[in-house]
Amino acid sequence: MGGRGRGRGNAVSFNIEQLGFGRGEAGPVSVTQPPPLFPSLENRPLPLIKDVENEYILVTQKDLSTRMRNSPFYLKKSENPSYEKELPVLWNRMPAELRETLPKRIATGNSKVTLNAKKKKVEDPDKIFAKLEKKERNESEVEEDGDGKEDEDDQDKSDDEKVENEDDVKEDLDDEMDDDTDYANNYFENGEAYLEDEEGQDDGEAQF
Amino acid sequence: MSSFTLGHFSQVCSQLLNHYYGEIVGQVGSYLLRRGNRMLNDIPTATGLSIREVKKALAVMIQHNLVKFQASERNNNVAEYTMIHHNVYCLIRYPKYLYMIKRIYGTSEEILLEILLNLGQASASNVIFHSANRLNEANVLSPSALHQSFQRLAQDNFIIRCPKLAENATLLKVPTLEIEEKEKFAVPNVEIEPIARMLKEKATQLGGHCDSEIIWRVNHERFDIELRNVILVNAAARRVDTTAGELYHLILKLWRESSNPDSPVTTPVSYNVIKDAVRKNDSSPILLEHFDHYLRVLYEDSAGLIDRAGDAGGGQFNLDYSKVFENLACASLDSIVLERFGSKALRLFRLTRIQKFMEQDQMQNVAMIPAKEAKMFTYKLLEHNFLQIKELKKGTSNFAPVKSFILYHVELPQVVRTTLEASYKGLFNAMVRQMHDLTENQRLLEKHAMLESMLERLKGDGVPDEEIAELSDTMPPAEKSLVEKIHLMSDNLTLGQTQADETILILESYLKFKSKEL
Repeated sequence: MGGRGRGRGNAVSFNIEQLGFGRGEAGPVSVTQPPPLFPSLENRPLPLIKDVENEYILVTQKDLSTRMRNSPFYLKKSENPSYEKELPVLWNRMPAELRETLPKRIATGNSKVTLNAKKKKVEDPDKIFAKLEKKERNESEVEEDGDGKEDEDDQDKSDDEKVENEDDVKEDLDDEMDDDTDYANNYFENGEAYLEDEEGQDDGEAQF
Repeated sequence: MSSFTLGHFSQVCSQLLNHYYGEIVGQVGSYLLRRGNRMLNDIPTATGLSIREVKKALAVMIQHNLVKFQASERNNNVAEYTMIHHNVYCLIRYPKYLYMIKRIYGTSEEILLEILLNLGQASASNVIFHSANRLNEANVLSPSALHQSFQRLAQDNFIIRCPKLAENATLLKVPTLEIEEKEKFAVPNVEIEPIARMLKEKATQLGGHCDSEIIWRVNHERFDIELRNVILVNAAARRVDTTAGELYHLILKLWRESSNPDSPVTTPVSYNVIKDAVRKNDSSPILLEHFDHYLRVLYEDSAGLIDRAGDAGGGQFNLDYSKVFENLACASLDSIVLERFGSKALRLFRLTRIQKFMEQDQMQNVAMIPAKEAKMFTYKLLEHNFLQIKELKKGTSNFAPVKSFILYHVELPQVVRTTLEASYKGLFNAMVRQMHDLTENQRLLEKHAMLESMLERLKGDGVPDEEIAELSDTMPPAEKSLVEKIHLMSDNLTLGQTQADETILILESYLKFKSKEL
């Protein structure tokens, strides 16, 4: 509908000659499918340069690839995480968090593992049942045996502690829980800062 | 490099990491390349690897100068890790580094460099120890000679000291590293006797030693400068002849000694200084005799290899890197256009580049190409982004149709960036294809390699020829020719990658110096 409108209705905005073909000739071929993935090359590329330098580079490249693949720095997905060779890396120049890759966690002594307080304790299901049974029994005997119940609770607590210690030693290698950030500590504010600095903010501006 | 971290460049880098350090490092590296600064805990969730694997991968990459870290602002005990893009890309240039060192110095320096490349960061004694071990397989070389070679490499800045731990660093969870300018290339005293003793005992590891805290690594920037110089010297040799190349090499050394490496223009060097250097250096007699002529030819040449900057001292000469690399980049683009589209297209391209803005009619007239062909080539160049269009409208009347001028021009930085992107893609394709070929036929290649090594050993032991021939017949000739073909293909792909890397170096240097001059 290029002809509609004011002025001379029949003129169009481009000169037909500028398109590169005359009136009588056919128009350009329309595209019906995406271009081929590997279009044929019109001109053959120049041959590769083969001189002394490139010969040396070929040999060195192969040598280097083999050496790198056999070096201890080439990391493959290993099947047995328990047997691992020490990486010949300069550990004292790196952040401490990278060094904590001990396969077996030693319960005491290694203060690098600081997370015990936050981890969930996975207790044996048997112990849980035993505790629940004890609690049921305690509730039914509550009026009669106040002191005895406390003793049993203390005993429960020491049992629980022993369970905790054992679990620490033979923990699952649940490495996903190995968060060293203080994310949990910093995320939840304890509200002390809430009312502190409100006095200085009222400069006469409206507060919404 | 961080100013133009392109998609294809990251692909090349992850392919390199995969090839040299394995899949795990490749995955961690790709993630950091795409995402920038990240803390340790973001990585396992994004890549699906276990945290132990991620820690090892990061340790390997830090050791090999591919990753740097700094304490995060929010929490001093945690580090943020960033990839050093340029160093990852330089993995592909390691064979070139070794060739250059071998050519400039010799075998012992080459071995020292290779050991340092393999270890990433190491103390001088360690490097010397391992190099002596490697060389002992061929002949006996004393550690003190290696120590001198090490000093030579440090003097010419090919190796550089890593920053050392700050005093309180052992207390921090994320150590800070620092180094002073004057210490960067100072070689410490190395005790030779312990090394010699360990070598005699055929130990595989050097124990504790006095300079174990002074760590060295390869200086990539220096190698870049050297690679660029090689390109320039070759350009001089091609344009004039080999003697001119020699002269140019000398002048480059003089410039390098007197100029600041970061400046885009070298400080001028006077004619007399050059003449002295030529005489002192053991140059060929032709150079001594015709030194004047060669210098004149070089600085009058339009490639801009030498610029005359003044007349004091018999003539002052300097080098403008941005001009030289612009000419080299244009030459590369010209040859790309020539090989892809033909000489007529090249004429149009060069014309438009030199004349800045041209109309279609003007182009076909000045280039003397028939109209229809000119239009076709112009369109092709436009389609592949070698030419750009600028439209100027003229005509003020509201009734007549509006006429507009269409001007063609070549916007050089844009075209160079497009070509650079295409080069990275080509490089990536070659690497992927090579990897694919080698892994698909791995079994066959390993069998062939084992057979070859067995044959070698038997030949060395003096087994009669008939038995050897029998053994080698266990592998049918069809398989042998297939192995040959695979090796040939792999070699061609490596050569292709090396050549693509040269183009990439020229184009990158152009963009780097162009951004410096602004």
